[in-house]
Amino acid sequence: MDDMRLADSAVKAAETKIAARKVQVFYGDSHAIKDVDIDIADRTVTAFIGPSGCGKSTFLRCLNRMNDTIPACRVEGDILLDGEDIYDKRVDPVQLRARVGMVFQKPNPFPKSIYENVAYGPKIHGLARNKAELDEIVESSLRRAALWNEAKDRLSAPGTGLSGGQQQRLCIARAIATSPEVLLMDEPCSALDPIATAQVEELIDELRAQFSVVIVTHSMQQAARVSQRTAFFHLGNLVEYGETGQIFTNPRDPRTESYITGRIG
Amino acid sequence: MTDATVSLPRPVPQGGSLFTLDGRVKRRNAAEARFRAYGMTAIVLALMALVWLLYSIFAAGLPAFQQTFVTMPVMLDPAVLDKNGNRDPADLAKVTTVGYSKVLAASFVAAAEAAGVDTGDLKPKDIAGLLSEESAATLRTQVLADPALIGQTIEFTALAGGRIDGYYKGRVTMASAKVDSNVKPEQLVLADALKAKGMLVQSFNAGFLTMPDASDKRPEAAGLGVAIVGSFYMMIVVLVLSLPIGVAASIYLEEFAPKNRLTDIIEVNIANLAAVPSIVFGILGLAVFINFGGLPQSAPIVGGLVLTLITLPRIIIPTRAALNAVPPSIRDAALGVGASKLQSVFHQVLPLAMPGILTGTIIGLAQALGETAPLLLIGMVAFVRDFPGALPGGLFDPAAALPVQIYNWTQRGDPGFVERASGAIIVLLGFLLIMNAVAIFLRRKFERRW
Repeated sequence: MDDMRLADSAVKAAETKIAARKVQVFYGDSHAIKDVDIDIADRTVTAFIGPSGCGKSTFLRCLNRMNDTIPACRVEGDILLDGEDIYDKRVDPVQLRARVGMVFQKPNPFPKSIYENVAYGPKIHGLARNKAELDEIVESSLRRAALWNEAKDRLSAPGTGLSGGQQQRLCIARAIATSPEVLLMDEPCSALDPIATAQVEELIDELRAQFSVVIVTHSMQQAARVSQRTAFFHLGNLVEYGETGQIFTNPRDPRTESYITGRIG
Repeated sequence: MTDATVSLPRPVPQGGSLFTLDGRVKRRNAAEARFRAYGMTAIVLALMALVWLLYSIFAAGLPAFQQTFVTMPVMLDPAVLDKNGNRDPADLAKVTTVGYSKVLAASFVAAAEAAGVDTGDLKPKDIAGLLSEESAATLRTQVLADPALIGQTIEFTALAGGRIDGYYKGRVTMASAKVDSNVKPEQLVLADALKAKGMLVQSFNAGFLTMPDASDKRPEAAGLGVAIVGSFYMMIVVLVLSLPIGVAASIYLEEFAPKNRLTDIIEVNIANLAAVPSIVFGILGLAVFINFGGLPQSAPIVGGLVLTLITLPRIIIPTRAALNAVPPSIRDAALGVGASKLQSVFHQVLPLAMPGILTGTIIGLAQALGETAPLLLIGMVAFVRDFPGALPGGLFDPAAALPVQIYNWTQRGDPGFVERASGAIIVLLGFLLIMNAVAIFLRRKFERRW
């Protein structure tokens, strides 16, 4: 563990962006998430770590109701975004997802041009009144995703023609183009090479200034590098949640210690 | 790492040398070689069957695109065609084709003599017998359309009779003419003489594609015009109805419908419907559209509706497969940026599935174009000489259809119709080829990689 660069563990006393209380998730009969309570802070990178199948991705997908698309999936408990229950009957998941963006494990750009990829979200949400505004949103999103310099001359080229790392940054640009408040990232670097991973990680650190970022990762090094807070999931339970530095150097729960020292996983 | 400069002793191969194959590997290789041989044999057999099929169709059908014509000056005798001399259309119409055939026969005999052709001891009636009975009708139509022609001498191209045409296509020989009551060997000699003088020519038969069907005695005049128009009208009905209904049903079933027992039953039954024999749909069409719905028989609208029922499952199945083949990550991506379900389907999923949908639709249409059995039951097999009217009213007029016309011609006695039937098959195959080419073109055009 000594080659790990522990992120600056001094977390400012940030406001709570998302508060989850007694969240249960069932897939049919199987109980995937058990009694999870967590407060995700604003303008902070929160990492979810844990062995495969521990429910961290499932929980992440609850935060923007992507689990709604799975018919057998049932969510109980409260998840509050700025104090409002996102599972309330009055909430339209479409509106929620405009505020809680998501980046997926595998880069999944639309088979359209780079410009169209980024412009799609703002278009359907009516964020731009005219072409000039849309151009501006596309440019600023691509800049913030650190893709502008590579993509500015080929905006009309298909997004699928980019390299894997560029595609993932394009997906990040697409996600931030709708100006979300929270950005969920489901193992965003697992399909990327180390250089692309480093670029995306750097990007995540910059995004922290504007968004609350929640990242699921299999790599403990990555969690340590990019996050300020870390949550350790095991068998559907949230075992331990705290400042990243504390989790990695001084875990309170023996299961966390076993995981980060490589004994379970 | 060990020091690489140390030379290693050559190890003794434990499982025998790699250069000799053991029995097991030999057997596996033999099985593979056998399988390849079976595959090659199957493909060669299939190709041979295809070549044979195409050869027999083209050999029998290509002559249908050539026709024998007789060109001559025709004196439109007012004494016969307009006895009252007042050019009154009502009086002109009273003169039947019998009168016109007299005029035509007189002009033909005169023209043959003028050209210096030895008519031997043939009677004028036999000389005129070289011409198709259809010619007089053609001439009559031409004159009624323009009564001012009466009294003039016009250059007229008449269809030669079916036997004369058959003589130049090898169907009729001097030997067969001796025993044929429809044609005399002397007439064939005369035809040869006229050909030598340039009065009788073989040329491209545009009428095969534009003229309506003709009666049993005159295969030389039979054309596909009504059948092509009828098939075209039916395809329009099928396209207009089955594409939107089929695609909408597929999208609903694939993207929106809950997965439960009911949708399972619907799914199984769509697959079953695709396997129902088409003649059953014909009976359904007869019962529902004609007997119950009161729609006219032999009409393209009924044919189109029946073909729509047949085509729907054939469109729904490939369309669902195309939608299913779109990776779920694209749907996730669209939902992830806040698109609604409908937006994710129409903006992202449908464009990706488009090549598959279009291919499925066009293949479905092509199958419908060739469908015969259901049309027999709804009266499309009737003998129709009049072209249906313009769209959309023409949908309710009687018409024929290409595959039924082929079936119809193969039932006729005159050997000239065998050639016509094969020619019609070539036309049908041509249309199918065009539709498949369009399908391939659209697939290439819309195909995108992701």
